[in-house]
Amino acid sequence: MMEPSTHLRDKYALVGAGHSRLGKVPGVSAQGLLEEAMLNALDDAGLKTQNVDGLICRGPDEIYTFHQVMGERLGIDASFSTTLTNGGASQVMGVALAAMAIDAGMASCVLVGYGRDNWSRVHANKENHMRGSGRPQQMYGMEFGPEFGYYGAIAAHGFGAQRHMHDYGTTREQFGAISVAFRNHALNNPDAVMKKPLTMENYLAGRMIVEPFGLFDCSLQTDGAGAVVVTSAERAKDLRQKPVLIKGFGTGNNISGWFNGNNMTHTGAIQSGKTAYAMAGVGPENIDYAQIYDCFTYMVLVQLEDYGFCRKGEGGEFVASGALGLNGAMPTNTSGGQLSEAHVEGMLQVVEGVRQLQGIYGPERQVPNAEIGLVSGHGGNTVCESTLILGAT
Amino acid sequence: MSDDYAKAIPIPGPESLPFWEGAKNHQLMLQKCSDCAHHWFPPSTVCTGCGSRNIEWVASSGKGKIFSFVIFHKLYHKGWDGEIPYAVAIVELEEGARMLSNVIGIPVEEVKCDLSVEVVFEDATSELTLPKFKPV
Repeated sequence: MMEPSTHLRDKYALVGAGHSRLGKVPGVSAQGLLEEAMLNALDDAGLKTQNVDGLICRGPDEIYTFHQVMGERLGIDASFSTTLTNGGASQVMGVALAAMAIDAGMASCVLVGYGRDNWSRVHANKENHMRGSGRPQQMYGMEFGPEFGYYGAIAAHGFGAQRHMHDYGTTREQFGAISVAFRNHALNNPDAVMKKPLTMENYLAGRMIVEPFGLFDCSLQTDGAGAVVVTSAERAKDLRQKPVLIKGFGTGNNISGWFNGNNMTHTGAIQSGKTAYAMAGVGPENIDYAQIYDCFTYMVLVQLEDYGFCRKGEGGEFVASGALGLNGAMPTNTSGGQLSEAHVEGMLQVVEGVRQLQGIYGPERQVPNAEIGLVSGHGGNTVCESTLILGAT
Repeated sequence: MSDDYAKAIPIPGPESLPFWEGAKNHQLMLQKCSDCAHHWFPPSTVCTGCGSRNIEWVASSGKGKIFSFVIFHKLYHKGWDGEIPYAVAIVELEEGARMLSNVIGIPVEEVKCDLSVEVVFEDATSELTLPKFKPV
C-alpha cells in the first residue's frame, strides 16, 4: 500500500508563469511559441535562461526528444531534463516532477512548459482538416477503431458522457452550463480566443459533431504555449513575484483502459486527488478554485465529482447551479479554459492556477480570498490524470 | 463485398490475427484464461484478469449489451460519406469482454445503453470481414 507522503508539502514553489500569443499564430513553430512562453515565465520570475538547470517539456508528439530540441534553441544545458508523454496529464505532472527532481538534488531551478501549433498544422491543408487532426497517423490504433469509423478523442470522451447520462440522468443542458460558465470567464480575459458571449440557446443550437457532443462541448483548436518556473520555497523569497507554494500533487492512471470497468465514469482523478490531498493535508472543502482540464465539457463534470466537490452522479446539478462562476461554490477555469481561452493541453490551467495566487488580477477576474487552488491535467487516451494543489504565501 | 472499399482497412498486430481469421469464418473469437476463465479483448499474451500465460482462443456467443455509444454526425474519413449519422458502440459481450464496433439495423435514435445486441458479420472485401452488432 502507498503511504501518504508529506515531506514535500510547501517546500517548492512556482515563481513565474507565462504564455505565448494564443489562437491563430501563423508563421511560428510550436518550439517558437514555447520559447515565447518560457521567456515570459522567466521574466515574470525575474530570472534568465542562465539560471535554469532543469528543463521538462512537451511539444508535438512526433518530435523526438523534444526537450533536447528546446535546450538547443534556448542555449541551456540541464542537469535534469526530459520530455513527458502522458498526453494532457503531462503538463501538471511536469511541475510535480520538477519538485521531485529538485528534492532529489538533481536540479535547482526547473522550467516546465508545453507548446503546440495545432491551429496552423490543421489548417495547413485540406486533408488534415478532413481527418480533424494534425496528428500523425501512427498515433491512432491501426485496428479496432478506424475500420468502424471511430476517430478522435471526441468519441472516446463521448462514450463516457453517454454512460454518465445513462447512469445518473445527466443532461446536455448541464454540459451546456459548463460551456456558458467558461465563456463568461473568457470575456474577462483579454488574451482569450473567444470574445463573444455564449448563451444556453447558442449552446443547444451548436451543430452536433459526435453525439452527445456538439460544437460547444469541444475545446478550441489553437496555437499557443505556456510555461512556469519551479524552485525551492527558500530561494523563491528573493524573486520578483509572490511565490506560489506546491502543497501537494498526485497522479492516477487508469491505463487498463477507458473501456475497462467503470473507468469512464470514475476517472483517474479519484486516485490522483486522493494522493494530492493527502500530501497537501487538505480536502475538497479547503479548495477555493479549480482549474480543470477541459478537452470536452463532460470531463469537467466528472472530474469535479471525482475530486469530491460534489457527490458522484451529482455533477450535472452542481455545474447547473452556478457553481463555476467567480462567486460560485467552486470557481472553475477562471481564464476561460480550453473551451474558451485556448487549448494548450492543460498548461494554461497551470499558468492560471499560479496567477490566481500571485494576486495580480482585478476584481473582475480574481477569485475572492483565494488561498488554495487545485489544477488538474488529463489525457493520454483519456486515462491519465495528474493533480496539483497550490497555496498562497 | 467490393474491391473499391473506401473505409480504413485494419492492420492486425501479430497477437490479433486469430481474431481476424475467425471473423472471416464468421466466428467472434476472444481470448480466455485457462486458469481463471476470464475473457478479454483486445488481444494480448497475458490474462488481464490474473496475469497467467496459460491462455487460449475461444468463440464467443456473440451476444451482449451496449455499454456505451456515440453517434458520428461529422465526416472524419471519406469512406463514410453518405452514411452519416452512424453509431459506434462499446459492446459488452456475455463473456464479459468489451469490444468496439458499429450498431447497425436500427435508426441511430434508437441506440441506447444496455440494449441487447448480437453479432452479425459484414464481409467488407474478399480479405476482410468486420463483426458488427444488431439488436436482438
